[in-house]
Amino acid sequence: MSGARDVFGLEAVSVSFRRGTIEERSLKHALVGLLRRESPRVHRALAGIDLAVSRGEHLGVIGRNGAGKSTLLRVLARVITPQEGRVWVDPTCHVVPLLELGIGFQPDLSGRENVHLAGALMGYTRREIEDRLDGIIRFAELDGFIHEPVKNYSSGMYARLAFSLATDVEPEVLLVDEVFGVGDEFFMEKCVARMRRLMAAGTTTVFVSHDLDFLARQCERFVWLDGGLIAMDGAPTEVAAAYRAHRGTS
Amino acid sequence: MDHASRRFTWLYAQSQLKLKYRYTALGFLWNLLEPALYLGVLSFVFSVVNGMRMRDYAVFLFSALVPWRYFEKVVLTCMDSIVQGDWLLRKLPVSPFALPLARWIVASAEFLFSFAVLFLVLAAIKDRWTLHCLVLPLAALPWSLLGLGLGLVCAALFTFYRDIRPVVQMGLMFAFFSAPILFRADLFPRGSFQASMLSWHPATYLAALFQKPIYHGAWPGLRDWTVSFAAAGVSLLAGVLMVSRNRGRFYFYL
Repeated sequence: MSGARDVFGLEAVSVSFRRGTIEERSLKHALVGLLRRESPRVHRALAGIDLAVSRGEHLGVIGRNGAGKSTLLRVLARVITPQEGRVWVDPTCHVVPLLELGIGFQPDLSGRENVHLAGALMGYTRREIEDRLDGIIRFAELDGFIHEPVKNYSSGMYARLAFSLATDVEPEVLLVDEVFGVGDEFFMEKCVARMRRLMAAGTTTVFVSHDLDFLARQCERFVWLDGGLIAMDGAPTEVAAAYRAHRGTS
Repeated sequence: MDHASRRFTWLYAQSQLKLKYRYTALGFLWNLLEPALYLGVLSFVFSVVNGMRMRDYAVFLFSALVPWRYFEKVVLTCMDSIVQGDWLLRKLPVSPFALPLARWIVASAEFLFSFAVLFLVLAAIKDRWTLHCLVLPLAALPWSLLGLGLGLVCAALFTFYRDIRPVVQMGLMFAFFSAPILFRADLFPRGSFQASMLSWHPATYLAALFQKPIYHGAWPGLRDWTVSFAAAGVSLLAGVLMVSRNRGRFYFYL
């Protein structure tokens, strides 16, 4: 059961992905499998995870590639429905997943049009986006370019606009998956400063990153995932030390 | 569907309509020119092939061809909408209905333009107009809902089995050529195999919703309305159930 202050609660959550070649995705293969009563081959990305995240908490999720970090974040974002277990998300919280910058952006639309489109995906009304548009453009440093199609933007400009939109809306919960390679060094400092301001204001944050030092500066709790299981859950220094020792790099 | 998905669906459909003609020289005019050119070419070819009086045949052909093209477009564009929406469905908790619905809105907007063109063309070639044409907006509804329902069913199936596309295309082609759209239903003697086959074909009744008011100057019959709305209702229900029940599984097949 999730506590009264919890934003997320996961109980025995398991997620499996079907493995298989391209041919195995065909109708013919499905019918043959049905006749032979074959079970599909699966890869277990999460294997019975129990986790609770409290309101205002800043959690860092670490682990090697393929450990299940991004899958966990997608379960929290309700993008993935687990095959087993229960997921509880506080229905009063506005959750913004930052799994990738610029989700929903259409290359041929202008920056301004894309802000409206992607803003709708984040649950904001036209009025709310209009009210914030100047601030979003100013933060992204795109004053002279906002009416141009985003396909003409540099990758830095594109990422700046996307980050500015996602964080200007002041979400109650932010789920961040390795997106801090935004623009140049100065802009990245601006982004980190904005993240810290949001976190200080009470935004619950779940970070997935391989940059342990960055995570240790932002988070008060680490969860180490290994092979779809929680290997350790605790203070960042202890979990990071155990993780590094496990990797043989400490 | 949640509020964010609904708003996104509407804005996304609008953006797709805008983008379709944004970089073309004639821009918005293509909405009218495209169906006009299509109808012009078809009427010429078929009147020559069939040896019918061109004006008469064009009125008959266009009356059911325009809604058929709309229906077919809705089914085919909805079919790959979930798979092609992986850029969104793998990253954000958006309703899987959002993408097929956006395609349906775009196709419906284009149908309205085709409908306008149909009336412009008919104004030039049709001899007699009757009040029965007032029923046409209602007649478009079962076509639209049937297309959306089948489109949703196909979208769910296509996500799991990519090789259903040619099956659906063949099915639509068979349905088109076996329906009284290119030819008149009364071409076959009563009691013949062909007449019996047409009486079981749902498109016969759907086509009649447009052919009777436009070509025959008559109201569609009760049977036409009943069969058309029943087919639309069943397909819509099947589509909604297919997508709702599988919404948690789509991610794993994108």
